[in-house]
Amino acid sequence: MTESWAFSGDLGGAFIVVAFCLGGASLVLLLAELFGRRKESAAGLLVGASGVLALGLLMLAVLRPVRVFERSNNVGARLLVLADASRSIDLPADGGTGSRRAVANRALASLRDHFASVRVAQFAFGRGEPVPLEGNDVLRQPMPGSDLSAALEAVARGTDELPQALVIVSDGRLERPSDGAVEAMLRAALGRLSVPIHTVSLATEEPRDASVRSVRLAGSVVAHQPARLEVEVACTGGLVCRDLDIAATELHLGEPSVVRASGVVHMVDGRGTVSLEVTLDRAGRRILEVAIMAPEGDSIPENNRRFVTVDVARDRVRLLHVAGRPTYDVRSLRTWLKSDASVDVVAFFILRTRTDDVGASQDDLALIPFPVDELFTKHLQSFDAVVLQDFDAEPYGLSIHLRRLAAYVRQGGGLIMVGGPNGFVAGNYAQTPLADVLPVSLRGIPEDQAVDLATFAPTLTRAGRRAPVLEPMTNLVGERWPDMPGTNVVGDAREGATVLLEHPRRRTASGAPMPVLALGEYGSGRTIALTVDGSHLLQFSAFASESGGRPHGAFWDAMLGWLMRDPRFEPAVVELPRGCIAGVPTTLQLRALFAEDGAEADVTIERMGSGEKLKQVHVRFAAGDAPASVDVGSLAQGGYTATVRLDRQGSSAPSRHDFACEVGGDEWADPRPDGARLEAIAKATGGVAVSYDGIAKLPLPRATRVVSERRVEAWLPPWSWTALAALAMGGHWFLRRRVGLA
Amino acid sequence: MAHRRLRLTRRRLALAAFALALAAPLKAAAFGEGGAFNPRLLITGTREPSPRRKTAPGRWSLEVVHRTSAPARLVPTQVRADAVELLAEPFAVWAGSQAPESLTAREITGLRRFIALGGVLLVDELEPSEGSFIKGAKEQLARVLPDGSPIVIGEDNVVFRAFYLLRKATGRVQKDAKLEAIIRGGVAQVIFSPNDLLGALARDAGGAHPFEPTPGGESQREQAIRLAVNIAMYVLCSNYKDDQVHAPFLMRRRGSESP
Repeated sequence: MTESWAFSGDLGGAFIVVAFCLGGASLVLLLAELFGRRKESAAGLLVGASGVLALGLLMLAVLRPVRVFERSNNVGARLLVLADASRSIDLPADGGTGSRRAVANRALASLRDHFASVRVAQFAFGRGEPVPLEGNDVLRQPMPGSDLSAALEAVARGTDELPQALVIVSDGRLERPSDGAVEAMLRAALGRLSVPIHTVSLATEEPRDASVRSVRLAGSVVAHQPARLEVEVACTGGLVCRDLDIAATELHLGEPSVVRASGVVHMVDGRGTVSLEVTLDRAGRRILEVAIMAPEGDSIPENNRRFVTVDVARDRVRLLHVAGRPTYDVRSLRTWLKSDASVDVVAFFILRTRTDDVGASQDDLALIPFPVDELFTKHLQSFDAVVLQDFDAEPYGLSIHLRRLAAYVRQGGGLIMVGGPNGFVAGNYAQTPLADVLPVSLRGIPEDQAVDLATFAPTLTRAGRRAPVLEPMTNLVGERWPDMPGTNVVGDAREGATVLLEHPRRRTASGAPMPVLALGEYGSGRTIALTVDGSHLLQFSAFASESGGRPHGAFWDAMLGWLMRDPRFEPAVVELPRGCIAGVPTTLQLRALFAEDGAEADVTIERMGSGEKLKQVHVRFAAGDAPASVDVGSLAQGGYTATVRLDRQGSSAPSRHDFACEVGGDEWADPRPDGARLEAIAKATGGVAVSYDGIAKLPLPRATRVVSERRVEAWLPPWSWTALAALAMGGHWFLRRRVGLA
Repeated sequence: MAHRRLRLTRRRLALAAFALALAAPLKAAAFGEGGAFNPRLLITGTREPSPRRKTAPGRWSLEVVHRTSAPARLVPTQVRADAVELLAEPFAVWAGSQAPESLTAREITGLRRFIALGGVLLVDELEPSEGSFIKGAKEQLARVLPDGSPIVIGEDNVVFRAFYLLRKATGRVQKDAKLEAIIRGGVAQVIFSPNDLLGALARDAGGAHPFEPTPGGESQREQAIRLAVNIAMYVLCSNYKDDQVHAPFLMRRRGSESP
């Protein structure tokens, strides 16, 4: 308990000042009067003394002074520490010993010690709101991004007690505030909060490193059309770089990567740029790896390669339609393909066999040779999809290209095999490499039993009833299909395939209903098997006329759309809300379309290139539209494919999402610490910038005194002051009368 | 090399279809035959097709099978314009030697649906010297397709290069070297043949031709057969021969032909 006094217990400071001003003015008037009348010195002195006494007592009567008793203590100032938790602090620390993360954790401990007398709260920031570090927590896992401005905005707009100071622990590689606009961006982030921001730099030395600084695509990328990759490369820390080899490689699932472009970067003063022309043939999401050959002495090999996700648009679907003979089924499919402006169809129909007697010379015929070798070697990659309709591979020389065609599928091409007397087993596709990428097995089917002549109406499977790919057609005609005049005989659906239509009577060797329409995904490509040659009945028949012949277009539009990964026909959507950081647990979010509540899904994660199956997870969707989260664990640097099959294995067509995991990504592209930016931050806010070993130089914010108990006692009762003042005023008046003053 | 067992060949299938058609002509086609070319004779009103030309569709199919890779129904059927079976296949031949009877409302509806679905109709004049059938057919078809009127098509049309390179249209007689067609959506959906094409194709029970083509004789018959094959291929492949990939070949061959 401390004791003090105050002029007044109830009047505010302004009143006290006014009272003193009035008292002082009265005193000045009194002295002026005495000196002006030139009274004898003794009498004058007495009048003056009584006047001063009366004035003093009058003021005390007005103010009524008090004694103050207080119980209080000092509370340390509130200080926030914002520690950079981005991936850049996993870069090597000064001297190459340990990481900047380790330095950051030591700095946090030092700050706790240095600011032991103040209330310190420590946060980790990445992108968005900072995350509190409880107690002696350290920075463990990297967070995406390094947005200091967002962290400051969160602090300034928070409902907690505002801090007296902020300390930023970082290597200075920040997304915001950006270089050159530090002051303005800080002002915008802090708003009315005006506090000093001190900075602690985690590194000061540039590592010896060669890195791919940036990879930019000039404009949008369209399939089959050249696109430009602008790549910037830099060397730092005294690493000597001259000409560096560079290559852009497209990753595939289960297939070797394909080099799309290569070149040399000419380095001048540690920097160089190169423009690579790449042509991607497959539309959809593609993963490109851009890598340089770094010179010896490179201390961070991880940033020598970058993974770029490219969304390849499709100008038009370029499709190769090959038919073994002209039929109404061929006619219908061709008519539909030609009517769709988004399809660029190149067609080759076998109009004449070797045994046909045309009765005319070659010059009288409008026939051209079937350029099978040219098509399936030189031009194959230029097509988005190939349709083999009722086509026998053997007599026309396709057999020798089936391995290439299978590889084409695995690298992202689409394939549709449509039935007929020359399709599937009857078309000599059994026991060929192409059979391995068809969604139905062709094994164990004798050639003389390769077709079933019995008429039947295909029936929808459970998956077929739910599949978005059949929904446009079922919307028109329900679950009915017209009678089909026979079918090719095929075996069971292959692993991972989805059967949408099946034969109502015929069974495979395993006893399962024989697939009639099956979809499959092999490597990066998709395939469709339709074992009948009567889809034209969806366009021209009494059945079709009920809906104006539209079921045929609805069916093939969806088939081609699914083959080309049109999102309309994907049963599930996969997203990575926080991206993928190599070595850090990754979470996928699934959204199921056209699935009822409580649907389940199998999610498979495979590594691109090797096709190694890394994880298989079974998830159940919650009610409503809430997405399901799937933890896929920590993945190494590289490209991956997440394949989702709704319900249970094989029950829905797969949805696929390709993604890449990087160790450092953008934040490792330039590994140099940016101390200048930290100094600019400190300078703009009146703070102090220090390095990790200079934390002791940071100023301590002043403590705050907090009064817990306060008691006020009047020195004398108010009436006492009034009585004393009245007596003094009366005595003064008496003395003034005695010396002749008024 | 693996031993090749019994293979399904086009000819075997054609024979199987032929047998099936004889056994049960009203049943659905077998596998591979569902999409086969079938020059069905269209019946309107009360008139039956010309008895001497009833064999022409079968001959037409046989020529298609012999000369091309396309499958065809060797025993073609007849179909009424007001029957739902008209919508079973996208091709029919309407032939006659005198002005057709006025189409009934049901026949108009049937033909309109046939054309709307993409069907192709060949109108063949069996008495070119009079031309009354084609004239009457055009009038009746104007009721079916009020917005379509015939235009002349010549050798630049895909029908003339669907399989053979042809310079002119012909038939039993050589009345007009060009055809006429009602074009819808860029596709010839109704083709008018003024030269009695079926007459050139017809054979009697002994296999002999009942009609002698004039003035060109057998050479003219061969040209008529080629035109029939082209029409069949046009029906089966649509405008396939209009594709750009064929253009340089066809231009070269056209250029090498003597005028």
